[in-house]
Amino acid sequence: MSPVIVTRELSRTFRTYRKPEGLLNSVRYFFKRDWQDKVALAPTSLEIGGGQIVGLVGANGAGKTTLLKLLCGLIHASAGDARVLGHDPAARSPELLRRISILLGQKAQLWWDLPAADSFDLLARIYDLDLAAAKRRVAELADLMQCTSLLETQLRRLSLGERMKMEIIGALLHKPAVLFLDEPTIGLDIVAQSTIRKFLATYVEQEKPTVILTSHYMDDISLLADRLLLISHGRIVYDGTVEGFTARTVTRQRVTLKLGEPAGSDHDLGGGQVLSRGAEIFSGDYPAAEVAKVLERVMQVARITDVKIEETDFEDVIRTFLEAETPRNPATAASPVVG
Amino acid sequence: MLETRSRAASLRGLWRRSVGSARLAVLSQFEYRFNLIADTVIQPVLTAVVEVALWWALFWSIGTAAGLAAGEATLGGFGRDYYLSYALWAAFFSRIYASWMYEFRMTEEIDTGAVNSILVRPLGFYEYYLAQFMAYKVMTAAITLSVWLVFTQFFDSQTIFSRLPLALALAFFHLFLVHTISFCIASCAFFYNRVHSFTVAKNISLWMLSGELFPLDLMPEPLRSILINLPFACGVYVPVGYVTGRFGAERVWSGFLSIAIGLVVFGLLASVLWNAGRRRYTGQGA
Repeated sequence: MSPVIVTRELSRTFRTYRKPEGLLNSVRYFFKRDWQDKVALAPTSLEIGGGQIVGLVGANGAGKTTLLKLLCGLIHASAGDARVLGHDPAARSPELLRRISILLGQKAQLWWDLPAADSFDLLARIYDLDLAAAKRRVAELADLMQCTSLLETQLRRLSLGERMKMEIIGALLHKPAVLFLDEPTIGLDIVAQSTIRKFLATYVEQEKPTVILTSHYMDDISLLADRLLLISHGRIVYDGTVEGFTARTVTRQRVTLKLGEPAGSDHDLGGGQVLSRGAEIFSGDYPAAEVAKVLERVMQVARITDVKIEETDFEDVIRTFLEAETPRNPATAASPVVG
Repeated sequence: MLETRSRAASLRGLWRRSVGSARLAVLSQFEYRFNLIADTVIQPVLTAVVEVALWWALFWSIGTAAGLAAGEATLGGFGRDYYLSYALWAAFFSRIYASWMYEFRMTEEIDTGAVNSILVRPLGFYEYYLAQFMAYKVMTAAITLSVWLVFTQFFDSQTIFSRLPLALALAFFHLFLVHTISFCIASCAFFYNRVHSFTVAKNISLWMLSGELFPLDLMPEPLRSILINLPFACGVYVPVGYVTGRFGAERVWSGFLSIAIGLVVFGLLASVLWNAGRRRYTGQGA
């Protein structure tokens, strides 16, 4: 089966200018701008097959959204080319646009002034769908996401989580073959995140679109993605499975222990760890497998009244991975790590 | 055969999208009731009152200076009552061609990246806003016209009512040109982001070029002939002059032709600006 998405040395450079703060600099830079080129996406070649669910992960400013925007034709490439379902996305052919959809987290694409139901009616006309069939599909999707009662409320009056549900319905109304999800759960509360994740998991299972998903939440990726692309400074540095990535990185947790009374003296806990004299709080980042040993060592020398264990921030997981990859010179790295 | 079917399907699709966009504009207007009343009644009435007052005062001054009663003075061969009628109908037709609201929205969408929601859909930015603009104007013009028809019952407005349909047809055909110019200005947002000052400059220019400020035949030659033959005069001067009996239908048909030429010129410019702007577009902020 031919790939659905193909890029060949696709890259994008943005031109920006810097301006130091202050009124004098504003006047000075009014006449002469200090332009700089920023490579948002380095030449990237990849192929994505039909039905694949690809998690695109990276730190802020890594190039995830730039890649997504290039693939759905929002922006033109500086060099290289891309093909989505056989079409050049930048050409915006109606045949392609009717088969793709993009969902931008926290960005409204439905019409702010209208109830969602009116927006869906307009979308049905834009995508040349049968109106009755579109209405049934809206009812079906709204029922799955338990938001039927919100269809007749102006979008501006809905909460963020409620709006995102409407945006998802709008994005899926025309049954796209390729779905671009840019941080679909960002800013949502835990319940809304869970609802949307479960819905998307069910949807991709049933409809089998090709999905490109970017997210900072590992839960989004681990639940949905069967392929992981890690992008850093505009380059893909890992291309493989989620399990392969997890196996390569050591999951860490932040442990914070509140002591019953200040430590009476310095205690060497072994492995380079020290509980300092007078400390009332002990904290540190440890590999998940070692957390129990750390607790045991501290309990041997102090009384613990409160324990907090947190997953290390995903950005730290990526940083850890990148630090492990540092011996590979990024300037000459021609291909990503494949897992 | 396939090409014909494809073209038919394409036209049908365009019609459906346009109907959808037009419907969107009407529904949106009904969401904000006070704004709709202000736009269709309060604003045109205020404009008419100001312009009528201006011409009334002018003729009073002319009459006083010439030792005549205000009603006997003339300007450019026309008397006070004619200019008051002109001012009344100019206020109506100027509300039709005013496009700043939709131009502002188009510009803002490009500046902020909100245009992404159009770019990812099988929908043209030009057609999307044209359909909304036209629907909005039909709706608001119908409401305002009903108020105007009541007004004109109370004094001699020198209106030839049988000429209204052709005058309105010209005014609405002129809207295609207005929208194309707005599209050109909005496309500049790809290059300069904030271009609201372009809108202000354009509006000031059209205020005179359309004949809203004063009838264009008060200008000296050759400026008079040039301005009257430009398509912008079809916004106010030509339809108002026709409805008030200043000239006949031949001027209106010339207006249709000049608008068509204007559409070709500004259409080409719009296409160049849009395509160049799209290549530069970064989508940042969205």
